[in-house]
Amino acid sequence: MESDVYSFALKETLNEIGNVCPDINNAFVFKENGEVVASDEKTSEKTVTRVVDAFDGILEKADSIGNIEGVTLECSKGRVNVSLVNDDFYLLTVTSKKADINYVNTVTRVIIPTVLRLLEKIHPAPLKSSEVSPEIEPATSEIEEPVEQAEETITPEEETLEKEIKLEPLLPETPVNQLIVENLGGLLVPSDTVRIDKEILSQWEELYEDKKINMVEIETFDGKTTTCKVKPIKDSKYEGKGIIRMPEKIQLTLEIKRGELVRVKPVID
Amino acid sequence: MPRKKKTVQNLAAVTEPLTVETSTNDLRARLDEIKAYDGVIGYILRNSTSAAIDLKDPTKIIDYAILSSSALDASQKMSELFNLGDVKDIIVEGKDVKVLSLTVDENKISVFMEKNADCSKILKKLRVA
Repeated sequence: MESDVYSFALKETLNEIGNVCPDINNAFVFKENGEVVASDEKTSEKTVTRVVDAFDGILEKADSIGNIEGVTLECSKGRVNVSLVNDDFYLLTVTSKKADINYVNTVTRVIIPTVLRLLEKIHPAPLKSSEVSPEIEPATSEIEEPVEQAEETITPEEETLEKEIKLEPLLPETPVNQLIVENLGGLLVPSDTVRIDKEILSQWEELYEDKKINMVEIETFDGKTTTCKVKPIKDSKYEGKGIIRMPEKIQLTLEIKRGELVRVKPVID
Repeated sequence: MPRKKKTVQNLAAVTEPLTVETSTNDLRARLDEIKAYDGVIGYILRNSTSAAIDLKDPTKIIDYAILSSSALDASQKMSELFNLGDVKDIIVEGKDVKVLSLTVDENKISVFMEKNADCSKILKKLRVA
C-alpha cells in the first residue's frame, strides 16, 4: 500500500510489456525476501504468492552458488524465466512454447531495469512514500514567502491554516501490511491469537506514539474480515519473511489456508 | 491356474528394479563422461533407492544436494501453477556456479558447472535414449 506509486508504475509497465509481447503469459517482480513488488493483470495474487513460496527454497540455498542471478525452467508447454534486475529485484516471466525468447528477453531486460532505475531516481525510497510530502512543502513555502512580503494584507492565520491542511497527510493513516498465512499449532497455542513480525508491530507502535498494539484486523482478498489478538513471532525461522502465523480456527473463520495472502492492520483503541 | 498368475506377478516384480538399475548405471556412466567436460564441477544422481554424488568440493555436498532438490521441487510446482505441462529441465544460475537439474525416468539429476560451461551439450548427452 505504501509503495502504491512504485507498484502502479511497474504494474503498468508489465501490462504494456504483455501487450508488446503477447507470448508473455505472466510477469511479476519480487524481492529476495519474498516481497512482491508488482504483477501484471493476468497473474492472480494467489499464484504470485505460491510461486514466490516455491522459489524461496532455491533462494535459501543460493549462497552456495553465489546467489541467484537467473533461473530458466523449460516445460513441454512453455518456459519460466527468472532474472535478477538491478541487484535487488527478480523479474519472473512465463512464456508460451512458441515465444521468441530473444525478443522477450530484449524487451524485458531493457524496459524493466530502465523503469526501475527511473523510479529510484524519481522516488528514491519506494517503501517510505510518506516521506515525499515534507519535501514538497518547503518548496511551496519558499514560493509563497515573497508573495507574502509583497502583499502584507494576507493574514498569518490564513497561512497557518494552509500549513495545517498540508500537514494532514502526515498524520498516521492506518497502515496495512500484506502477509502470507502460515500455520500456527500446538497444545498451548491460543486459538484467538495470531503472530506477526515484531518489526511490523514496533513500526506500528512507533507510528502511534508507542501505543501497544494488541489487536489486528485481518482481511482476505475475498473480503472476509476478523479481529483477533496479536503477538510477535517467536520462532526465528519465520521472522522477516512477511508471514502471519495463524491458528486453524482463524483460518477456518476466514476460509483461507497456508500460503494465501491477507491484509493486516492494527486496531487502535 | 492361480499358480501361473503368481509367477507372472513375481517376474514383473523382479524385472522392474532391474530395468531401473540398468538405466541408472547407464546414466551414471554418461554423467562420468560429462564430468570430464570443460567447467563441470560435479553431479548428483538420485532415485528412490540410491544416490551417487561426485563433486570436486566435498564440503558443498549438503548445500548442493538441498539446492538441487529445491530446484526440482520448485520446477514441479511452477509447472503446475502455470499449467506448463511436463518439466524438461531447470537451470539455476548463480554468480559463480550454475546448476542444471532434470528428471530422467525416476532419476533426479543435477549437474553443477562453472557459469560459462555449455549446458546444451550436457542436456544432449543426458537426453540421448
